[in-house]
Amino acid sequence: MNLLGLQTLFVKEVRRFLRVPGQTLLSPLITTSLYFLVFGWSLGSRIQEVDGVPYARFILPGLVVLGVITNAYLNSASSLFVMKLQGTVVDLLVSPLSYAEILGAFVAAAVARGMLVGGIMWIVGSLFTGFGVAHPVLALALLVAVAAGFAALGFLTATWAGSFEQVNFLPTFVVTPLTFLGGVFYSASMAPPALRWLTRSNPIYYLVETLRWSVTGRADAPPEAGFAVAAVLAVGALLAAYGVLRSGWRLRG
Amino acid sequence: MPGPVVRLRGVSKRYGDFTALDRVDLDVEQGEILALLGPNGAGKTTLISIVAGLVRASAGEATVLGRDVVRDYRFTRRAVGLVPQEVNFDPFFSVEETLHFQAGYFGVRLGTERLEEILQALELTEKRHANTRSLSGGMKRRLLIGKALVHEPRVLFLDEPTAGVDVRLRQQLWAYVRRLRARGTTIVLTTHYLEEAEALADRVAVIDRGRILLVEGKDRLLDRQGGKTLRISLTAPIAALPGALRALGARLEEGGGAIDVDAPPSGSFGPALAALAEAGLPVGDVETRRARLEDVFVSILGGGAGKETP
Repeated sequence: MNLLGLQTLFVKEVRRFLRVPGQTLLSPLITTSLYFLVFGWSLGSRIQEVDGVPYARFILPGLVVLGVITNAYLNSASSLFVMKLQGTVVDLLVSPLSYAEILGAFVAAAVARGMLVGGIMWIVGSLFTGFGVAHPVLALALLVAVAAGFAALGFLTATWAGSFEQVNFLPTFVVTPLTFLGGVFYSASMAPPALRWLTRSNPIYYLVETLRWSVTGRADAPPEAGFAVAAVLAVGALLAAYGVLRSGWRLRG
Repeated sequence: MPGPVVRLRGVSKRYGDFTALDRVDLDVEQGEILALLGPNGAGKTTLISIVAGLVRASAGEATVLGRDVVRDYRFTRRAVGLVPQEVNFDPFFSVEETLHFQAGYFGVRLGTERLEEILQALELTEKRHANTRSLSGGMKRRLLIGKALVHEPRVLFLDEPTAGVDVRLRQQLWAYVRRLRARGTTIVLTTHYLEEAEALADRVAVIDRGRILLVEGKDRLLDRQGGKTLRISLTAPIAALPGALRALGARLEEGGGAIDVDAPPSGSFGPALAALAEAGLPVGDVETRRARLEDVFVSILGGGAGKETP
């Protein structure tokens, strides 16, 4: 195993996102603060509680899931895509790094960014809601699996993509709508029947609900469902990304 | 005697209906500089890329130091350095960081001494902390060479290494390539400039339409395929050649203002000069010209290739 190679690529990828903290860390911090100002603080004073949980505390897990997903995805997607664009992907392809080492380093760095952003969002949100977490280890495990799955999806997308527009397609047109319709701001059981059906057909809803259960101890869906979705997503996306990398599609001639 | 550093046997590469490489056999010997010459799209970069691991062959076998480039990729890639044709750079990092990262990918910790040597040899010491985005085109190209050398490869592939580099720097890079060779690094070079191959190469491989047409020692090739020409410029044009010069194969050029006499590389112009003196022609100037690699290259490709060989 090329341990130094794996470690080098991981460190390089982490330094890359730390070089642009305004874009990678500050931006989600501001966005989360705004969500809490608008939804948690001003609106929350009218909504009071959902399923027995204060509204600001109710929306925090969903926002953290959104932050983790988006940042893990964008880290591997934008990094690999820029490497393709700049031609520096050649540096990796001629190196003795194995496919698993390349993918492992990209995914680990993307998970690091996702967890860092998720952690910042959680700290900012908790200033409004309190810092208690019912099941911290399970919450962490869920988020790491979710981040790894979306990091692998980002890697896959960047392999396929020919433009930045294609890289941004998944977060803009798939992840954000699914997350917002995944019960971040509302409880499915309180929604009208059509929206309830739509919400419960959405896999991201189960991730949000399971994290909500991990943080508050209460949820609208069985927590096992979220862990199952996260596990299937992580394993499926990692295997798909590994297979595509190994095939050389769009990377090796 | 050790076997070739790089060996290709029956290597083909097809992209759909297009054949980029067609059953190529080639050996690159330890410590030599081999120039790979061919016109646009001849397959030079594809060939290099297969050995370096960037492209997968459709058929055949490529080995480095006797190990298969696919099955034993960790071994062969540690033995190979590639300077790609396209300039690339990572805009997030400095020159020094870039070199450290590249070494790390190869499982090597870049020591201070080695780092200093590379920076000095490529005249990048002053730019070591500069972001790669701020480097000039020539500096970026030198950084590519530095990246290819960080893991001290046994064989270095230079794909158009001096394209866009000024004359002074080109001379320095040539000197550095010679130093690398003197230290035992085997070098395979494709180049835009035939004079580069002429100045550096020990052997020349000519490739066209995916097939190797010829592999031969440069000097031997020039001797065999080349020759030399004596040009006698006259101060006043003449209507016809004297019989003695015609018998030596001389020909009139420039509307009768010059006479050319061809000879093999080891031949003598003595008889032609004697015949010239005997004829008492009004001689203005005499010069000889040896055939250059460019002439040989054009003649091998049937006159269809220009000077460019990317």
